[in-house]
Amino acid sequence: MSTTPVVRFTETTKRFGELTALDRLTLDVHEGEIVGLLGPNGAGKTTTLRTLLGLMQPTSGHARIMGVDAWREPVEAHRHLAYIPGDVTVWPELTGGQILDLLGATSGGYDEAYREELTERFNFDPRKKGRSYSKGNRQKVAIIAALMTRAPFLAMDEPTSGLDPLMEATFQDCLREAKARGQTILLSSHILSEVEAVCDRVAVLRQGVLVEHGTLADLRHLHATTVEATYSGQPPRLDDVAGVEDVVIANGSIRLQVQGSTDPLLKALATAEVHTLSMREPTLEELFHAYYDESTELPAGAGA
Amino acid sequence: MTIPTTTTTRPTDPPGAAASTGDGRTDRTPPSPVRVWLRLYRHHLRLLRGAAIAWITGLTVVSVGVVATYEDRYATPEELALFAEMEGIPAFEAMLGRFVQLTTVEGATLSRWGMFSILAAVWGMLAGARLLRRAEERGHLELLRAGVVGPRGLTLSAIAALFTTHLCFAVAVGVSHTAAGMDTATSWALGGAAALLTATFALGGALASQLVASYRRAVGLVGSVMGVLLGLRLLAAASVTPEWVWWTTPFGWVGYLHPSDEAWATVFAAFSVLVLLLLLVVVALSQRDLTAGWLGGATDEPSRSPRPVRGHTDLATRLTAAGARTWGAIIGIVTLAFGLLSRDFSEAVADLPTMVEMGNQLGWYDIDTPEGIVAFTFALVALLLAVFAAGQAAAIREEEASWRIEHLLVRPLGRVRWLVTRIATAAIAVVLLALLGAAMVSIGSAVVGSPIAVVDALVAAVNIIPVAWLSLGIGIAVLGLAPRLTAPLTYGLVLAAYLLDFVGGLLELPEWALELSPFRQLAAVPAQSIEPLPLLVMIGVGVVAAAIGTTVFRRRDLQEA
Ligand SMILES: Nc1ncnc2c1ncn2[C@@H]1O[C@H](COP(=O)(O)OP(=O)(O)O)[C@@H](O)[C@H]1O
Ligand SMILES: [Mg+2]
Repeated sequence: MSTTPVVRFTETTKRFGELTALDRLTLDVHEGEIVGLLGPNGAGKTTTLRTLLGLMQPTSGHARIMGVDAWREPVEAHRHLAYIPGDVTVWPELTGGQILDLLGATSGGYDEAYREELTERFNFDPRKKGRSYSKGNRQKVAIIAALMTRAPFLAMDEPTSGLDPLMEATFQDCLREAKARGQTILLSSHILSEVEAVCDRVAVLRQGVLVEHGTLADLRHLHATTVEATYSGQPPRLDDVAGVEDVVIANGSIRLQVQGSTDPLLKALATAEVHTLSMREPTLEELFHAYYDESTELPAGAGA
Repeated sequence: MTIPTTTTTRPTDPPGAAASTGDGRTDRTPPSPVRVWLRLYRHHLRLLRGAAIAWITGLTVVSVGVVATYEDRYATPEELALFAEMEGIPAFEAMLGRFVQLTTVEGATLSRWGMFSILAAVWGMLAGARLLRRAEERGHLELLRAGVVGPRGLTLSAIAALFTTHLCFAVAVGVSHTAAGMDTATSWALGGAAALLTATFALGGALASQLVASYRRAVGLVGSVMGVLLGLRLLAAASVTPEWVWWTTPFGWVGYLHPSDEAWATVFAAFSVLVLLLLLVVVALSQRDLTAGWLGGATDEPSRSPRPVRGHTDLATRLTAAGARTWGAIIGIVTLAFGLLSRDFSEAVADLPTMVEMGNQLGWYDIDTPEGIVAFTFALVALLLAVFAAGQAAAIREEEASWRIEHLLVRPLGRVRWLVTRIATAAIAVVLLALLGAAMVSIGSAVVGSPIAVVDALVAAVNIIPVAWLSLGIGIAVLGLAPRLTAPLTYGLVLAAYLLDFVGGLLELPEWALELSPFRQLAAVPAQSIEPLPLLVMIGVGVVAAAIGTTVFRRRDLQEA
């Protein structure tokens, strides 16, 4: 690629004493992309973003924003970005409005009409003091402060934590609008479906190591759905059903994984007397489990 | 890409996290309330431990210092007789509390507790409000209150922890004073009463924490009550008021511990009744909404629309001003009071040659003149300013510890610029507070017609600025090098330096040791003329320390609390 990527991690490593929180991460984010950084708690997502933003010094390697190393030249690197921290704390004595003023002023300007619009859309009351804000409200302050700058690059650390589902949907709309305007976004999450809803590409971190990286289509094999059912009489025949694996049948209950379409499975289940049926997406932990069962080697060049 | 599913529940938490929600889905039988209560008690005690050890040690050492040096200081009957002349002089009693029976070591020591008791009360107030309001304000109580122990049990566990530190205080005073040679019964009576006074104000802090919804306001409330109670003592000391006025304030009760008064029973009864009453009220009021207060909830909206915050400099100014207001009130009151008393005080001292001599030993020169009293006042203000400056370093660190700083540092604002702005704002606040002191002392002296020139007051203020800047600079160095120690180490160094100067003189430590204290280097302006060299050295060291701190801060990872 000829143009400078918006974000470039090169062998970025961060150690805290013995613990390697981030292990030789190499990753690019290009202009106009939304990239999701996916991983369970403690995977190193926050460390990745803090290192990128120059809040922490990489132990080795480096991270650049639009070609600028944020550790060496923070002011230059921060000129074109906005950030939503993972754990938002606010000044207890300032009102939400004052905090937005402050963050707008230090960002070097913002779109005032858009700030009003966002305040309305997120149903945020800027008149209350910081100390009285719930987690969700503190999150909204950070979200509005970041989006209202219309910065070309947005970094977000689990931006929807603490938001209710309605606000989550609003937030995803905002992300799509930002993308439509050409803004680049790197966002971390531990929720697969959230990443799925908005991201073009996904990078999966596990214990500081990039274990998967690609477009959502590339990562289709991550999508196993867990199905649990209870039945009476004869157990349904599931041997030849497409996409079904890990079948456990015991005392009138079935538990299995299914990949791809569930249609063949549902037809097969219909042959038995099924009483209850539930399906859920796997947790990330389960995904990683599945992932490590089927491939012990990291795909070559996945980090490029 | 979509996957057809019938019912899909989305995982929001990784498995394993559910076990800690305590919502009853887990198989474990709930722990017994008594065990949980004991754990809460231990938790609170752990929170109190550090500060309690510091206060108990400080107060005990200072007071034992008085006992230990008594015989040396008043070796001859003449010296003793002169010292005893201080008894019952209204100007002293107004500032220092009741002065009785100075011819015995018990009397001399107990008379000092008029001053020391104020410190004990401040400790009590801060500990009470910190445990019962600040923890809640910061959201630390939410988890605890979700457990099997209700709000009253939680409050009681905090109060039990507070009382435990007060008990340790009583024992420390009792044992140490007995060992230093004071009469056993009096030592323990002093320990008991000092602990009860501390407990009274701890409960005061706890009570205010139920009434108002912020730590700052709780401290402001108890601080005001404390001011009124000290005002009552001041009134009691006036020669025209009847004796019973001393009994209207707990600060007066402490004055009646002298064996000759035979009032121990009354003092202890009064304290016990007050403590019990406060305890009942606090427990009764503690059954309330989390984060709310009886006089107004945490969600109160400001009545008028607040001034916009225009940038990080504006923020730095506001945050600094918030702390400076409180200190401005303290410094203003102290300097005004001494200004008003400067004439009476110096005239009273003029009749007491021992006092003048003792003053000279301690570095308070010519306290038989109004200039000497003003110099003494500014020696005190120097400590207050240095503590304020240490507090500013701690406040700057708090921005980092809470990660609020993250909002600013991810914007185009360098770390150095952010920190230098905070340092500069604090340094300017120091200057303004010193000038306020000069203004108030001038006004006070002008009212009573004491001959203090405004210029003298100004020079006295300028004289104490460098020591506060030094404190700030050291604080910033600690912030860079050992961020988590910023508050304890900086406050600790300031207090150690002050005690070295103050108690070191009484303990007759070698001169070179005393010279280590920056406070020792201050000339007693305006009684003496200002000495620029030590001041320039202090400024130099302060600037270098701040520069080191800033450089290291630029190069290190941010660290949470
Ligand atoms: N300042 C720090 N000091 C020591 N260890 C840290 C620090 N910050 C993070 N860690 C550790 O690094 C690992 C990654 O943490 P983090 O980046 O916060 O993960 P995530 O954001 O994915 O939940 C964790 O094991 C965490 O305990
Ligand atoms: Mg995180």
